[in-house]
Amino acid sequence: MAQPPPDPHFVLRGTGAAVHALHFSCGGGEPDIPVLFSGSENGFIHVWNLKTHRVDAALDGHGRKSVCGLKTMDGKERLLSQGRDQRICLWDLAEGRTSVTDSVFTENVGFCRCSLLKVAEGRWLMATAAKALEEVQVLELPSKTSVCTLKPEVGAKLGMPMCLKLWQGSCGSQPSLLAGYEDGSVLLWNLSTGKVLSQLICHQEPVMSLDFDSEKAKGISGSSEKVLSIWSLNEQQNLQVQKTHRLVNAGISDITIRPDKKILATAGWDHRIRIFGWKKLKPLAVLDYHTATVHSVSFSDHKSPSDRLLAAGAKDHRISIWLIYTQT
Amino acid sequence: MDEPQRQRLHALLRVAQLRQLLLQRRLRKGGHGGGPAPRRACSARGRARRGRTDSNPVPQDGRPPSHPATRGQRAASTGRQEGQATQRPPSGAGGRRAAHARPVGEARQDAADARCLFVRGGACAVRATATFLTALSPLISLGLFVAPRTRAVPPSLPAREGLTPGAGRRCPAARPRGRALRLSSEGEPAGPSHPGHPAMAVFDTPQEAFGALRPACVQLTKAQTVENVAQLEARLAAVGAGALQELQEYVLFPLRFALKVPGPRRERVVQRVLQCLSAVLLGTRVRSPRLLRELLSELCSCLPAPHGAPAPAEELQLAAVRALLALMHSAQGDAIVALYQPSCLPLLGFAVSLLLGLAERERAKQIKLAALECLQVLLLQCECQEHRCLREEEAQRCGDLFASFLPGVSIALSRIIAGDVKQGHRTTVSAIRLFYQIVGLVMADEQLARVPKQKEKPSVEQSRIAELIVHRGPEWSRSTSEKLSLLLRKTVELSSVHSHWKVRLELVELVQHLLSNCRLSLVDSFTHLLKALVGLVNDENSEVQSRCNEVLRGIAEQQVIAQSRALADVLSENLHSLATALPRLMNSQDDTGKFSTLSLLLGYLKLLGPKVNVVLNSVSHLHRLSKALMQVLELDVTDVKIVEDRRWGCVGGYDPSGSVQHGVQKGRCQRKYFRFFTEEKIFQLLQQVCRVLGYYGNIYLLVDHFMGLYSESAVYRKQAAMVLNELIAGAAGVGVDVLQEREVSLSMDDLKGSIMSILEEYTDQANWYLVTSIDTEEVSHEQLSVPRSGLAALPGAASSSILPSPEQHITTRTMNSNVWQLCIQLEGVGCFAAVLGREFRLLLLSALYPVLEKAGDKTLLISETAQGTLVDICEACGYDSVQSLINENSDYLVNGISLNLRQLAHQPHAAQVLGTMLRHSDASLLPLVEDVIQDVLSALDQSYNDQASTFLGVLHSLMAALVQWFGLSCSKEHQQRQAAEGQSRTLSHIQQEITSQEVERFFLDYIKQKQIAEGNFSDSGDEEADEVSPLAKPEPSNCDTEGETPLPSHAQLAKDVMERCIHLLSDRNLRVRLKVLDVLELCVTVLHPHGNHLLPMAHRVWPALVTRLISDDPLAVLRAFKVLCTLAQKCGDFLRQRFSKDVLPKLTSSLLSQAAASARAGPVYNHTLAYKLQLAVLQGLGSLCEKLDMGESDLNKVADACLVYLSAKQPMKLQEAAQSVFRHLMRVDPDSTWLFLTEVCCPHPYEPPHASLQPVKLRGMGRQRNEFTDSILLLLEELQQRESAGAQRAPPP
Repeated sequence: MAQPPPDPHFVLRGTGAAVHALHFSCGGGEPDIPVLFSGSENGFIHVWNLKTHRVDAALDGHGRKSVCGLKTMDGKERLLSQGRDQRICLWDLAEGRTSVTDSVFTENVGFCRCSLLKVAEGRWLMATAAKALEEVQVLELPSKTSVCTLKPEVGAKLGMPMCLKLWQGSCGSQPSLLAGYEDGSVLLWNLSTGKVLSQLICHQEPVMSLDFDSEKAKGISGSSEKVLSIWSLNEQQNLQVQKTHRLVNAGISDITIRPDKKILATAGWDHRIRIFGWKKLKPLAVLDYHTATVHSVSFSDHKSPSDRLLAAGAKDHRISIWLIYTQT
Repeated sequence: MDEPQRQRLHALLRVAQLRQLLLQRRLRKGGHGGGPAPRRACSARGRARRGRTDSNPVPQDGRPPSHPATRGQRAASTGRQEGQATQRPPSGAGGRRAAHARPVGEARQDAADARCLFVRGGACAVRATATFLTALSPLISLGLFVAPRTRAVPPSLPAREGLTPGAGRRCPAARPRGRALRLSSEGEPAGPSHPGHPAMAVFDTPQEAFGALRPACVQLTKAQTVENVAQLEARLAAVGAGALQELQEYVLFPLRFALKVPGPRRERVVQRVLQCLSAVLLGTRVRSPRLLRELLSELCSCLPAPHGAPAPAEELQLAAVRALLALMHSAQGDAIVALYQPSCLPLLGFAVSLLLGLAERERAKQIKLAALECLQVLLLQCECQEHRCLREEEAQRCGDLFASFLPGVSIALSRIIAGDVKQGHRTTVSAIRLFYQIVGLVMADEQLARVPKQKEKPSVEQSRIAELIVHRGPEWSRSTSEKLSLLLRKTVELSSVHSHWKVRLELVELVQHLLSNCRLSLVDSFTHLLKALVGLVNDENSEVQSRCNEVLRGIAEQQVIAQSRALADVLSENLHSLATALPRLMNSQDDTGKFSTLSLLLGYLKLLGPKVNVVLNSVSHLHRLSKALMQVLELDVTDVKIVEDRRWGCVGGYDPSGSVQHGVQKGRCQRKYFRFFTEEKIFQLLQQVCRVLGYYGNIYLLVDHFMGLYSESAVYRKQAAMVLNELIAGAAGVGVDVLQEREVSLSMDDLKGSIMSILEEYTDQANWYLVTSIDTEEVSHEQLSVPRSGLAALPGAASSSILPSPEQHITTRTMNSNVWQLCIQLEGVGCFAAVLGREFRLLLLSALYPVLEKAGDKTLLISETAQGTLVDICEACGYDSVQSLINENSDYLVNGISLNLRQLAHQPHAAQVLGTMLRHSDASLLPLVEDVIQDVLSALDQSYNDQASTFLGVLHSLMAALVQWFGLSCSKEHQQRQAAEGQSRTLSHIQQEITSQEVERFFLDYIKQKQIAEGNFSDSGDEEADEVSPLAKPEPSNCDTEGETPLPSHAQLAKDVMERCIHLLSDRNLRVRLKVLDVLELCVTVLHPHGNHLLPMAHRVWPALVTRLISDDPLAVLRAFKVLCTLAQKCGDFLRQRFSKDVLPKLTSSLLSQAAASARAGPVYNHTLAYKLQLAVLQGLGSLCEKLDMGESDLNKVADACLVYLSAKQPMKLQEAAQSVFRHLMRVDPDSTWLFLTEVCCPHPYEPPHASLQPVKLRGMGRQRNEFTDSILLLLEELQQRESAGAQRAPPP
């Protein structure tokens, strides 16, 4: 008999609004306190202390507009937050400071979360949806210089970009960008040439979220329909659908592959978090706690595997923390 | 007496006279200082030789002397026989004693006797010394060494009287010297020569003194009589100290001569002489070694020989001992040094043996004491300032000398110590003191370390004496310490239980002395010594206690134990054997015994101090110790009351006083009852034991070990938890009483680590959720709702074994045990908090929820303990109150609750936590828990059937809390409204005032109304209408404005809860229905101010409520009626129609039908449910009518129904209740009520004021007095008063 699904390890309350973005920063050593950032609909970013399970700080930088993306750049001191006020802010959180040191005005009104990739020490690439409807802009940080702007061919009718994933092959190869569009297709962009390498139509509905495993050259995408789609990238840089998985309820708002590439978690509109094995997409567990749509799932980056956590933020204002590692 | 002796004595006399003349001459010339020392007429050697040539005069009958009288007679007879045989008078104590009793005619014999003794002295000395010294040989067998003396003291010696107690150990020489002399012994009153005598002249120069003393001295030399001695004494008293020092030898001569004088010895003279001698000695210093030696031997000769010889009179002995004491005190530096040479060993040995004999065998306390004191001085252990400390080499030499006496002295002393209690504590004390002083000197580690390996070869001429000197080599010291250890053991055993505290105090000193001086040499003895010392820590006498503590502290501070491996070994050995014996002792001893045993244990641990770790590292030690603790700490779990005591707070009703930490104080530890002891102080000892362990021991090791025991068996669990709690307290240094600081104090992190692991274990499901009660309600629900298979899969799978399975019988004992275990664990949590202080805040995440869970437990003991723990946590973490603790950590709690709500099996606990939170907090908590309350409601929605009862508990506490938090505002509004209503009513009363104007206005109004009704409208009356309306207005406006604004959260909650209640009102379980009704009432109270929301809810509730009112168990009806009353307060006319249609008929009919029953019933009826129902209905009906503003017909129905209860036949309470109904009716409609009442009974005839009016005719007029009369008259009276009061209050129009 299968084990019943576990309970959350802890539930963080007090965001006061639906949670849209989550990001762990737990890689530090012993004196460092593991931290979870959460961005909520009321524009606040909460810094959760994972030892006391309490809010250490609440950052208000997006004019009470929903925060939809959170990333850190080298540790928890520098936080990148993307809000619906069309700005991407860089926070300096060192030594208790809570100030915005820099910001980028994207002029994009969509829901697309930006993607961040560290290409060298002190050099990041950030992909974000641009002002023009179908365009994606890639910036270099911290200089904020534009690397390229990716425009689909005229007449492609892709719609808005919905999700982005910057990635880089193992041996220092060129960074590439995977982008999911409103029409259900996933495109692979070459950043240096600014050309589409491959296009794959894997959903009938907008691609809500995708994640890519650069080691196995395999990615997964979820949309507002009942299908999860796994596709792979072959040597010819072509995307191919490998497998699809039908869900009971429609709608996936977030997909994350665990850093060790063994399992993945999806955030469902049906209030549930689903855990799959990454290798064969074997369903492992359905975590049922939330009472509203789950917006975001995130795996922690703790050094020791036994400490690692899964966090899910939902529309019911709660963030549930799960111990998944011990279960698998 | 033979010729040569006589000649010799004459010669001696002559020489003395000559010397005196010479001295006189020299003094007249003004010369100073003594002349050449007079040649001794009779040297010790000579005497010795002569003594040896003499036959032994001591009777050697070998039998123990039985009775003094017979002994004396026998001695006398043998003496006489001997005297006949050898032409010499008998000698020995018996003889002299007999002489004492005999007529004066035999005095001659005494004199001869004394002379005989004098001559015999030397021989005795040598013989005694020789026998004594042979006994000292270390090679002597052990048996001989300790063999008890076969010669017992006759048991039936008559008690001696007339001996005043002496000054004890006080040293005579300690008195200021030289000022004046006291010639009498201390016990006797001073003679004419009292120093304070004013008539006496003082001679300060030697010349004057000489002149004064000379005649007396000469006289004394010529004739040794008491008078002459007294004369000398008198003269002496007048001589200054300086002068006396000059004349010391001169004065001493006649005295010494008197002692040595040939011829029969007269005891009184000798005694007087001795007294005088000691007086002189006390006033002067003996500087010449020779004089010292001679005096010593002469004085010794006055003492009775050790074996068999009949003793002289006690006074004489005492005087002799005192003189000896004076001598030793007056001896000065060089003289002393010279005395303690190997050559003097025989003499010293002789004196020692004599004194020992006295101390041991004499019966008189004073003599014993004096002898012991004398011995002390003789062995250079006197404590007076006069005697400076021995220099190192001197001490070494003396040690060598005294080593020879050690065996004899120690055996004799230990016999004295072991002697009869009747000898008095002072004797024992001095004996103990002397014992440890001599042992401490001879066995001193310092000295032994300096003793060369090989004995030095003595020079030839000293060889005889040198043979006597013991070589204190390693072998000697080993064998001696073996023997001493036996003696010490005996001594310690006897004196540690001695009834007099001074003896025990002295024992402490003994241990201290030996421990500081003979740590190495006597290591074998320390088992007993330390045991005694540690045991005395808890002596009943405070002085002993404090000294003992002082000594222990001293030992610890000097790190005696830490430095000496051997002592640590001894201690750990002791500890081990004690731990082994502990369970047995605990079983067999009484509380006092247990107390001392445990204080022994504690003492060992304290003494070991940091060395405890060495002990703990040994598995067997730790095992023994822990097992012993486990057994000793076993709790008594037979008390049923613990299990029975219930906390009713949350069940019965909301008790606001319970929310404030009332009755919960710090340090309120529930008293535990143990199986093996009852006294609290024993428990405190055990606590200390654990704390000291924790303080010194390796905390990881200990925690690990006891955690092992904790999980090993349920038998040990409680004890292990107790020990763990104390260990942690000890480790943190809380409440530990230790002798020395530990080297490294524990770091906070280590402590936290240990605490965290213990906490985790404590709050583990298997150890936290124990069955503490068989609450049929709860258990059955748990049983029903929890599928066994499902439970096993839950995270708390282990709990399946704890949850009661139906077939498993849970005894009270088990539950009691569980209750205790939880209490101990809760106390532990409190203790950990106290230890960690603010650091504990981090642990609140995991610790607070379980504690709160237990604070809501139904078992009184557990909930009280948990509340105490909460207070502890508050204090430790720096929260102001339990409330702020809960509020500030509500996120943790809410998290726990919401997660646990998901597990059906644990729902009751989660509900308890919420209940506790609500009980302990205030309105500020509400926003924090709103979230989780929604969870509770949704969980309730999912499981109506089986968990309803549990949830209702939570809902009840929630609503009760809401009422408490927000009820004030509700009731305020309510009061305001009531006040407004009241005002308007009084106004209406004013209008009803009956004055002629009023009547006129009424009539005019009536006409106007009629006109309006008929359509003839005019504006004239509007002014008055305006006057009234503003007062009546506020009420409706209040309701209107509220409809639009959103409900405050608490009201919304109440509404949500009420909605659930509607569904549950028709639950098939009566208990649930009752609970629902309670909750409903609270909901209504909370929703009061929000009429727009309340009314629709009331509408929805109504059908179900009516069913309860009409056709349900009386209990439910009762509650439902209460709800109805509450509801009516707000809803008013909204319910009027429904009430009069649905409920009233039923109520009135039941009232009417029941009236007959209650009228007939006896006093027992008051306890029936029917009565309660009647009462409740009658009490509520009045206000109900008023609130609902009932119509006339309904009021009549009510009045009809209530009338029967006005009957005097009804129980008093019901009558009163019925009267109250009428009072309410009066308020609603006074006129019709008046009419109704007067219909039944009318006391007054109402005569019309004018003949034109018809006379008033009422049906009640002129009726006979009946059962209703009293009540009705009362009511009418009240009505009358109300009216008139209203009239008075009304302003004149």
